[in-house]
Amino acid sequence: MMLLRAVVTRLAPLLACLGLLGIWQVAALILDTDSFPTALDAIRAIPAILGDKESLINILASLRRMAIGFGLAVMVSIPLGLMMGRSRGVAAFFNPLLMIIYPVPKAALMPIIMLWLGVGDVSKTLVIFLGVSLPVIYHSFEGGKAVEEKMLWSGAAMGLSAAQRMIRIVLPAALPEILTGCRTGLVLALITMVTSEMIARQSGAGNILFNALDMGQYDTVFAMIIIIGAMGIGLDAAFEKMRGRLVKWSEPRFDLPLSFS
Amino acid sequence: MKPRAVTSDVLLGMVPIALLIGLWQAIDSFGYAPVSLLPPPGAVILGVGIGLAAAVSPAVNAVVRPLVRVLAPLPKVALYPAMLLLLGFGHESKITLVAADALFPILLATYYGASMVEQKLIWSAMAAGTPHGQILFKVVLPAAAPSILTGCRIGLVISCIVVFLAEMITSTDGLGHVLVTAARTFQAVDMFVPLITISLLGLVLNGLLEGLRSYLLRGFPEV
Repeated sequence: MMLLRAVVTRLAPLLACLGLLGIWQVAALILDTDSFPTALDAIRAIPAILGDKESLINILASLRRMAIGFGLAVMVSIPLGLMMGRSRGVAAFFNPLLMIIYPVPKAALMPIIMLWLGVGDVSKTLVIFLGVSLPVIYHSFEGGKAVEEKMLWSGAAMGLSAAQRMIRIVLPAALPEILTGCRTGLVLALITMVTSEMIARQSGAGNILFNALDMGQYDTVFAMIIIIGAMGIGLDAAFEKMRGRLVKWSEPRFDLPLSFS
Repeated sequence: MKPRAVTSDVLLGMVPIALLIGLWQAIDSFGYAPVSLLPPPGAVILGVGIGLAAAVSPAVNAVVRPLVRVLAPLPKVALYPAMLLLLGFGHESKITLVAADALFPILLATYYGASMVEQKLIWSAMAAGTPHGQILFKVVLPAAAPSILTGCRIGLVISCIVVFLAEMITSTDGLGHVLVTAARTFQAVDMFVPLITISLLGLVLNGLLEGLRSYLLRGFPEV
């Protein structure tokens, strides 16, 4: 009985996926229009897309841009956020700027950045970078702010320099919060990736999706939606697993993503 | 005495919300602001409802939790083509997209807030003779209010962003459309106007909601 329950909990996300696909199938059968293929039709179209060399290259190019943008953003944002969390001056310097940038739709900057940097990889990666960095900075800031002063004092008393304290005390203490920010950032990276490719139709998964929409290839549209959705779910699950490993020592936290700003 | 104070507080608190929604409607009716900003009220009601239900009832929780785990990381923009095909190019598809995007932060924040309510508060209310059905509205909902309002703020800013993107994609009207037309004609200056407008709108709405939040939560410790 216990085992059964454990298995069900384990498989619950999978069951949810199947349930959603089932609802889709039934809805499509009831509505019965050309523009809304059934779930099975859409799934059947997936191998054709993944098997096609050109679209595979497109999707991989998207993933590469996303990885580069995400990596750069994380590398820049975590130190910045931690410094903001630890130093009042730095926080006062950056906070108003970040507050103003926060509600700007990052992907909508794409047309402007395109004018400056062209439609190539650079501008798309830059947009992804911008989209990811804000939540990561914010969460690192919160994490850095919440570090217990006593630990820092002990570190200082034992002769750690300011930089050492930053790396050996503040970074590990803030890690759970930072990783929460990274998780939000990961999903945002995927969203900005799709949107940027939709605006600069040149290559990538978003390009395939919206071109198929324009040409009325509805099977492809829905198959691409499944592929992109699977990417999001897969990346999120993989990240969650890694996060569980990294911060096993921290208290069991809320395992659902908290903010998707 | 306490419950009545809470109820009258809630009633008092409803006034600015109603005013805000009315203002929204008014702005929309005059037709300048993006019409699809309307759905946040819908998303709020849905999000708070599902979030509370999931926090209170284990059965609902068992269903909602895996669904949220699957749907929350899904990029909603990728769903937009499907909504276009199903609902057409009008406001409906945009409103659905915005609602889907704003729903999850609100739902998650509500769930988080409601499941973090201190058990002692609930026990005290029960000991004071509060009927079981009213505990939800008199204890859990007010206690979760800070978290819920934070979720609403995040959802609101997201709706501003998403509505703009949706208007850029279908480009029939709205600020996003202005940006796309400017981009197609290489009018660099004109491209900044809608962008700054939507950002200002986001900032102002964010500020308004922040003010509302601190007004509603003036009795709460450290918010």
